[in-house]
Amino acid sequence: MSDADSPHDPGVPDDEIPDDEFEPVDVFPESELDLRSGADDCYKCSTCDTNCPVAEVDDEFPGPKFQGPEQWRLKRKDDADIDPSIMDCSNCMRCDDACPSDVPLSQMHNEARAEYVDGQMSKLSVEYWRNRVLANYRKGAWLGSKFPRLTNALANNGPLRKLGEKLFGLTAEREFPAFATQTFREWWAERGGAATSKERAREARAKRGGAQVQSEDKRVAYFHGCYANYNTPEVAKAMVRTFEHFGYEIVVPEQGCSGTPMFANGMLDDARRDAETNISSFADLIDQGYDVICSCTSCSMALRQEYPELFTFEGTDDVAAHTYEALEYLRIHEDLRGALDEAEGEDEELAYHAPCHARNQGLDRQAVELFRDLDGVAVEDVGDSCSGISGTYGWKAEKYEKSMAIGEEMFEEMGEADGQTGMTECPTCAMQMEHGTGYEIRHPLELLEDALVAE
Amino acid sequence: MGATPTVLVIGGGSTGCGIARDLAMRGLSVTLVEQGNLTHGTTGRMHGLLHSGGRYAVADQASARECIQETRVLEDIASHCVEETGGLFVKRPEDSEAYFERKLRGCAECGIPTEVLSGREARQREPYLAADVDKAIAVPDGAVDPFRLCVANAASAQNHGARIETHAEVTDLLVEAGEVVGAEVTHESGPGKRTHGKAGTTEEIEADHVINATGAWAGRIGDMAGLDVNVRPSKGVMTVMNVRQVDTVINRCIPKGNADIVVPHETTCILGTTDEEVEDPEDYPEAEWEVDLMIDELSKLLPVLQEARTIRSYWGVRPLYEPPGSGTADSEDITRDFFLLDHADRDGLPGLTTIVGGKFTTYRMMAEELSDHVCDRLGVSAACRTADVPLPGSRDERVLDDAMDEFGLTSPVARRSKQRLGDRAPDVLDTDDPNPVVCSCEGVTRAELQDAIAGSGTDLNAVRIRTRASMGNCQGGFCAHAMADELHPEYDAEQASAALDDLYQERWKGQRHALWGEQLSQAMLTYALHATTMNRDEGGIAADETVDFAAFDGGTPDGD
Amino acid sequence: MAIEQDVLVIGGGLAGVTAAVSAARTGADVRLVSYKQPTLRHASGLIDVLGYTPDGEGPLVDPVAALDDLPEGHPYERVGEDAVRAGLALFDDLAGDTYEGNHTERNALVPTQGGRVKPTARYPASTAAGLASDERDALLVGFERLVGFDAPLSAAQLNAAGAPFEARGATVEFPVELSADPKVTRFAHLLDRDEAGEESQDGSVRRALAERVTTHLDGEARVGFPAVLGDDHPEDVRAALETHLGVDVFEVPMGPPSLPGFRLEDRLYDALDAAGVRIETGNPVVGYETDGRDDDLIEAVTVDRNGATVPYAAEQFVLATGGLVGKGIDSDREGVAEPIFDCHVTHPPDRYDWFEDDAFGDHRFARFGVAPDRELRPRDARGTVEFDNLRAAGAVLGNYDFAAEKSGSGVSLATGHEAGRLAGDDT
Repeated sequence: MSDADSPHDPGVPDDEIPDDEFEPVDVFPESELDLRSGADDCYKCSTCDTNCPVAEVDDEFPGPKFQGPEQWRLKRKDDADIDPSIMDCSNCMRCDDACPSDVPLSQMHNEARAEYVDGQMSKLSVEYWRNRVLANYRKGAWLGSKFPRLTNALANNGPLRKLGEKLFGLTAEREFPAFATQTFREWWAERGGAATSKERAREARAKRGGAQVQSEDKRVAYFHGCYANYNTPEVAKAMVRTFEHFGYEIVVPEQGCSGTPMFANGMLDDARRDAETNISSFADLIDQGYDVICSCTSCSMALRQEYPELFTFEGTDDVAAHTYEALEYLRIHEDLRGALDEAEGEDEELAYHAPCHARNQGLDRQAVELFRDLDGVAVEDVGDSCSGISGTYGWKAEKYEKSMAIGEEMFEEMGEADGQTGMTECPTCAMQMEHGTGYEIRHPLELLEDALVAE
Repeated sequence: MGATPTVLVIGGGSTGCGIARDLAMRGLSVTLVEQGNLTHGTTGRMHGLLHSGGRYAVADQASARECIQETRVLEDIASHCVEETGGLFVKRPEDSEAYFERKLRGCAECGIPTEVLSGREARQREPYLAADVDKAIAVPDGAVDPFRLCVANAASAQNHGARIETHAEVTDLLVEAGEVVGAEVTHESGPGKRTHGKAGTTEEIEADHVINATGAWAGRIGDMAGLDVNVRPSKGVMTVMNVRQVDTVINRCIPKGNADIVVPHETTCILGTTDEEVEDPEDYPEAEWEVDLMIDELSKLLPVLQEARTIRSYWGVRPLYEPPGSGTADSEDITRDFFLLDHADRDGLPGLTTIVGGKFTTYRMMAEELSDHVCDRLGVSAACRTADVPLPGSRDERVLDDAMDEFGLTSPVARRSKQRLGDRAPDVLDTDDPNPVVCSCEGVTRAELQDAIAGSGTDLNAVRIRTRASMGNCQGGFCAHAMADELHPEYDAEQASAALDDLYQERWKGQRHALWGEQLSQAMLTYALHATTMNRDEGGIAADETVDFAAFDGGTPDGD
Repeated sequence: MAIEQDVLVIGGGLAGVTAAVSAARTGADVRLVSYKQPTLRHASGLIDVLGYTPDGEGPLVDPVAALDDLPEGHPYERVGEDAVRAGLALFDDLAGDTYEGNHTERNALVPTQGGRVKPTARYPASTAAGLASDERDALLVGFERLVGFDAPLSAAQLNAAGAPFEARGATVEFPVELSADPKVTRFAHLLDRDEAGEESQDGSVRRALAERVTTHLDGEARVGFPAVLGDDHPEDVRAALETHLGVDVFEVPMGPPSLPGFRLEDRLYDALDAAGVRIETGNPVVGYETDGRDDDLIEAVTVDRNGATVPYAAEQFVLATGGLVGKGIDSDREGVAEPIFDCHVTHPPDRYDWFEDDAFGDHRFARFGVAPDRELRPRDARGTVEFDNLRAAGAVLGNYDFAAEKSGSGVSLATGHEAGRLAGDDT
């Protein structure tokens, strides 16, 4: 619910509103959460600062400790100004993982950024609108996907890109991601949707062990996110086929953007709208026994961590507790090691980059460990650096150089790795990997599909 | 009268510094002596409430009227020491409705503006207030930094020619021909700024009039001249939270009681307090139950306090005084009014006046009244100007404007520095030298520390109260040694080491009362850093045994 | 159950890594789970074994010789001298030539950031030229924008402590334009990359720094810097500075965040990988499950993945979650506890008995931790083993004050090695 935005009914005198309806956090609009108490966990040890990829390349950036517990602790209610450097934070969330003491760093950054955008950034500025457009990628993607060929041609027209940089501050250095000629959802509908999935899952279960498999345990709701829908439907299809192979019935409910790009741009109101859609849509399914599966690690990060930190819609915590990344889920519930042991991979050498958001969910090593057991496939971890793109960050003209400087270490490591193909779970990391090395980039689900699903 | 009359003020708390400023501005020749740091006594150990008078509006309306009047004065003359937070008297369901009404009426009678808020409205102002708080009265309470206020008074007195001596203990009163003519003073490290390792000296300071403004210690000074000044010191605990849970002063609306106030103070909240009479203002038990009481009782107003981190607790002693024969049993019932004891009239011993009782908020008014009295005695007719002339740092409001440049600092650090320094900010912060943040909890830079050291020598506790460095959540763990580094090379290694030990021990003293949860973990980290990484617990220059260096590993033979 | 190993180690600090490697070397299939980055990153990087006795006697020249006199219950007393040696041997093997000190049983005295000296058993190669028993004169160099290390003051403290050489100090501006508050990693990475030292002819930061320092050299045979000389390539940085300066170069260990701690962590995690240990960081272990019949046997621990609880099964478990700082030991106003298995932690009931009034007093809290039997299995209040297949290692153990004794790393190595070995052997 959004009672944050619905002050009490003016027709009812204050004193007649029962106190048990009252939740302190909801008194203010949610963009003004008081996170000062989060500073209670801080040791001042600066471990977070030494993990920050932005501070690494930008000496003027004061770092996560300052942006988080210090800035919050020095704050008073009537203080309007957040240090503008908060806009330089890329929301990679590595500081969360670094902190030895549970300081809610990224939450503090998200709130401070939202406060800054709300109170200090001009709503008439090009930066604001550029960020708003980037944050709402899904809307543009929806339009673009209606005319994919035309859009692709226009988006990657050199002079037009230069114009984009001049007018909107979008870097001309990058090529826009191509739109697929058929979105994942179009494919899914054409394939027969959930009914077909149910049938295929049943067949797979019958093949794998028959009637003892309980269908209730084998239901997942897929949160595909924007990118797998509009740009890389092959990843989404790999998810569907792999899960069906293990006997899972899949549904693909109505959904919006996970909110990741909106958090990173301080557009919490936009994020809240989409989050409400997502939570209500998936919470219902969880009640029916479904778990939520993401193929993008930033989407799973948003549903699991950012939603409960930032929103209080009914079902938020439920959705968080039932959301998994695709590989993670299979590793927990299936004997994936055994399956891969028996399988044969195509001879392939891959340079794997763990996205920061995967790291934050404890998933940074799973792909490497998993494919260790698959004959023919060699996966090499290219180190624990950040790719530098951080979603929309690397698209901004003024951040482009910084983004590439952060990525430099990863590019070098990829160059040194044996494989000439990259692999990662995150679509924007994939963009950066491709941009920096020219390699083709794959998703672990695609590899899994190749190894396990004979079609 | 030919020569300028000379006055010796004993006591460097708010009252003493206020008197020194007042008399110096009237043109008298003033010396102030203080046994420790400025604010060493009660001033440095209060909760920082700037009373609107609301707390006294029922029981002591005269005090209430003085408070509201003086609060308005301080908002004008000490803007960089005062935060106009506003305050709430909140009523829980079990608290008396009749008292709530009396409080409201009392405020009206004393000219204290009020506004009645429903529970919901109160929670809109302070979201952490308990869900069952019925209602509240909003009053213009504020928060004040007693350290800065006291230091600013002393600085103003100095600017008007006064001599301020800290770490200068009065060891005797000089009495000649039945008249007090001065005092014998022991300087811990000689006159002037405190310097560790410098030998102490004694000095006889003569004065036309001596003022005993030593608060809870007034009886001791009285004893030196055989006078009976019956101060009844009463202790109270203050528990410091790590962050500000509230930005408004929260009072519980009850007649009297322990643990009934939360004051937002700089980056923290301070919970108070207890009220227990003690024998000796320097030696009394600091008890666990008092800290527990603060947390448990005040959690009824702010449930978040139950799990929140406290970083230390400290105790202060109120200098309560009763005229002989009053015989009040409970120290909570002793008047908060102040008393001016002219020992010529009272005891037949001219040359000495004692001021006792009273409260911090009205320190300026007390100083004015006492100064009027002393001037009268000395035949000086100059008028008091302390209510009209702003204190140093508080002269130019524009300095705090956002438009001011940030001196290369990130905005919250610049803002805090400017709030602490007031109009002195440009002088202190505008430097061409590298100016790193030394205390990151409170956002204190090297330049601000150097400015404080220039004013207070090797005494890092005096540096601390001027800057707030080492007063944040690490309690000096990450900055105490870096602060000591700032003393070098002006002061030598031994002095820097002794100064660091003093600061470190002082920080430990208060932290002992907060050692559980996060603060215990923090204390262990600090201990590990200072004992393990720096080996400050052993192997220092004070080690009595010399180390046989040759017996230890001297490296691999080929030296690679 | 899908996630299942022979040995599961909880905690990714020095003790956890040691336990995991040592278990893997027995042939066991090992997984290490850790929540956040280890407090290894706070530590100076020195491997202290025993610098002072629990009574404060010291600095000890020979740490191993003093082990016999330790009181009952001390972790070293629990595992015995052989385990201490085995732990150190394992460390020497993992650290390779990045550490020194194993040529002798004697402690070395290493200068600290405040100009004291500290006894330690193994030290990073980068600090080797700085030993206080070395009689060559030393120049200490600090940086204007790096607070916490005042080189002239540190030098004066060393001289006052009676060190057998003359120390001098100088403070210089780092030869790259920096903000007011550069991170320690900033210095390290500028030196690693060695670019943008604009004033030097070839743009080398190392050369430019050496040029600034040379003007301060006055016949000293060695120069000490705060420990920020490189993160990924410390040997190269040091070698280049030595070449340019023509004297030995060493690092003075600093407080958190500590580059020598980072380097050691990287080295140890590479060793984990090489040993085939499965590593997972980022999610906390929050509880455990027994099989219902036997409450003394842990079947799985439960890992909280953002609200979802996932069981991790194993035959043997090692608890290496750290002490009060690492949050392996937790406290509130009422008491002290070990949060995952609720193992007994002896502590006085009144929290005012947890500390001493002197800041460096004999604090009871510094010795909080679980009390194990001689096989490192935590015991309850009556002295009975809590679980048959749970061992504890490192700072989660009680009955020793690592800060006062300077014994932290040694205990982690000895108990980590022993716990890992026993766990591996029992599978």
